[in-house]
Parts: sequence; structure tokens; C-alpha cells
Amino acid sequence: MMLKQRDQGAFTYLYDRYSGSLYSIILNIVPDRDLASDVLQEVFVKIWKQIESYDTIKGRLFTWMLNVARNASIDAVRSKGYQKSQQNRELTENIYDAGGSTEINTDRIGLKKIVNNLKDDYKIIINLSYFEGYTQDEISKMLGIPLGTVKTRMRSALIQLKQVIK
Amino acid sequence: MKIRDYIESGAIESYVLGLAKPEEIKELEVLMEQYPELKEAIDQFSTELEEQAFNNAVPPPAFVKQKLITELGFEKASITAESPMVVAYNSNVENKPLEANVQSLGRWRLIAAASVILFIASCAANFILYNRYSSANARYQAILGERNTLQASNQFFQTQLKDYQSASQMMADPTFTIVQMKDPANKQNNMTTVFWDNKTKDVYLMANKLPLAAKDKQYQLWALVDGKPVDAGMLDPACTSLCKMKNIPRAQAFAITLEKQGGSPVPTMAELYVLGSI
Repeated sequence: MMLKQRDQGAFTYLYDRYSGSLYSIILNIVPDRDLASDVLQEVFVKIWKQIESYDTIKGRLFTWMLNVARNASIDAVRSKGYQKSQQNRELTENIYDAGGSTEINTDRIGLKKIVNNLKDDYKIIINLSYFEGYTQDEISKMLGIPLGTVKTRMRSALIQLKQVIK
Repeated sequence: MKIRDYIESGAIESYVLGLAKPEEIKELEVLMEQYPELKEAIDQFSTELEEQAFNNAVPPPAFVKQKLITELGFEKASITAESPMVVAYNSNVENKPLEANVQSLGRWRLIAAASVILFIASCAANFILYNRYSSANARYQAILGERNTLQASNQFFQTQLKDYQSASQMMADPTFTIVQMKDPANKQNNMTTVFWDNKTKDVYLMANKLPLAAKDKQYQLWALVDGKPVDAGMLDPACTSLCKMKNIPRAQAFAITLEKQGGSPVPTMAELYVLGSI
């Protein structure tokens, strides 16, 4: 496979083809554009270094890359540094607004745009699980609903999601 | 379990989106080997997801790509070349007060703008000069060609002149017998002249007027010796004035016939063009 040759041409191809799609999903999870750019950079380094571990039999290349991007984004949001900066941001929110924020409403792009069209019950489950990385157990506790209900809603949400993606 | 039900249970989406638990992943991967339709459904959802992402792509800032190319070591040479400059610039910025920075920034901008303008001007000048050079070169080539043609025709005229000079000398020379040969039927006013050296017996032919021979034909000179024709040589089509023919010790008359290329042993009398007796 071409990508396993690891030359600049292969990398440029990979980047040009997929960076926009991956940046979109990263922004869904990490709304701060500067941090999202850092995550994108980290994701491509990971992809490039771990391309050997991608197994063509298990699925499409993009699926694999999407998962790398999602995991890296959730990790970034959960990191202590990000949590701190978010707290600081709240304090200095006014300054950001005055200076013209680099943020856009990242709920209106990519996959999140589609998820936002789902029923509220489904939306919250997908948001917590897919974009924030919580387990079904955690979601059950957070929302105060039985695990079985989380599972049923999750299933219905995914089936609906499939319909709207088409 | 029916595979259709499994496909529609949301398990595929959960797997593709990375939400499945390890035991669910294992189960699905086992089933995938047994049921091609399951694999097909996974591929289909993955493709749809990919297309959706593709259509909703957000172009990342350009510097990310450049940073990556540097970080992944594709441009080792340019890193080492750039880093000292960056360091120098940074230390400069840190040490000076803000105002000085702004001033030096302004100066740098000016210098940058000036160099851009100079660069554009130099490009334009290069373009103009190159165009001029091209047209001058084309003219020079044309003149060179013309000069070669002139030289060639000059050489041609010189040889011709030399031939005519020797012909006129032969005419004046009493050692030469001049034989005027004319068209016996007098149809086309054909005319040639033979200069026959009395001492060496060399024969020279001047074709004053003969029609152009066809490609596969050639004029042949004959000497009539005691009523029998003797081959006196072929007229070279390249010879335009005085042509040296074969040595003929004895003859009473000369004749020219048109023969096939290379000549014939016996003249074709139907193709007799000129004839002249001594």
C-alpha cells in the first residue's frame, strides 16, 4: 500500500485528502480553533506513526483515522491543561469577545450538525457518548436513568443517525 | 440470531463510530467472517460516514501542514537553515523596548515592500530583455541563412564563369577543332558544340541548347568512326557548361542521342537530337 511507503508525497496526499474531514470532527469535540489545530497536528503525527497498525480487513482507512481523531480530541478536552484554560476563559470571556473571537459555533458543522437534528433524548446520549466519550454506565448515572434505557435509546439513536447520514 | 436483525440493531454504527465495548467488537468481528452481508453493511455505513465528513470538511489553517512536514522530518535541510534566524529574531524582540520593536517592524516592512517592488521590476526587465534577445536572435539566424545561400550561389556562378572562360579559350585556340552540332530535323533548334583537342584527342562537350532529359533518361555522345558509332561518354546532368567526355582518337562526325540511364551500346537513331560532322 502506498501510504506505508512513508514519503512526503504519500503524506501530502493523505493530509490534503483527509485533513478537512478530520478537522471538522475535532472541532465538534474541541471548539477552540487553536487547540483544535494542535490536536489535528497531533492526530496526523499519530496516524503517520501508527499507519502500520491500521488493518485493511477491519475497515476503511477513514474509519480508523476518524477514531484516532475522536480519541485524541476527547483526550485533549479531558486534559488538566484544557480544563484550567476553560476556567480562565470564563473569567476573561469579555476580553475575548471584545477582541473578536476565533471561535465559531462548532455545533453547526460536520457530524454534530446532524446529531443536533435528532430528538433531544437521542441527541444528549450521542453527545455524551460520541463527542464527550462517556461510557453508558456514566451516562446512566449522569442522567439518572436506568442503564437499560440508555442502551435502548443509544440503539435507536444510532439507527436514526444512520438514516439521516444517508 | 438472524443476521438481518443483528445488522439493524445499531451494532454496526456502534462499532464503526468506536462506541462498542471490547466484547461487542469481538462478537462482531467473528460474525463478520461468517456473514458477508454484515461486512457489506459495515462498509456501507463507513462509506456514508466518510462521505458525510467529506462534504462537511472544514479546511484547517495552512500552517498545520507546514508544521507537520517539518515535524515528520520531510524537510530536514530547511529546518537547520531557518532555526538560527528565528532565534536571532526572537532575542531581538525580547531585548528591545516595545517602541523600538514597532519602529524596526516598520522598517522591515518597508524593506520587504521595497524588495518585492524591486523583484517585480527586475522580473519585468528580464521579460522585456528576453523578448528583445529572442527577436534579435531570430533575425540573426535569418541573416545567417541568407548569407549561406548567397555564398552557395556565388560559388556556383564562379564555377560556371570558369567553365565559360575555358570554353572561350578553346574556341580561340587553334589546337581545338570545333564541331557545331545541330538538330538534323531542325524541329527544336537544339544545338551543342564539341571541342576536340587535336593533340591529346580529348573531347569536351558544351550543351548550348538541349531539352531537359527525363529522370530515367540520359544524353549520350557518339563519335562516328568510318560510319560506325563509337560511345564517347554520357552527358552528366549535373554538368551545366563544358563537360569533359571520353578520349576519341579518330572520328568524322559526332552525334547525341537520348538513351536510358547509363547509356546503350548502340545508339537509338529515333532519339537523335543533334549531329555535326567535322
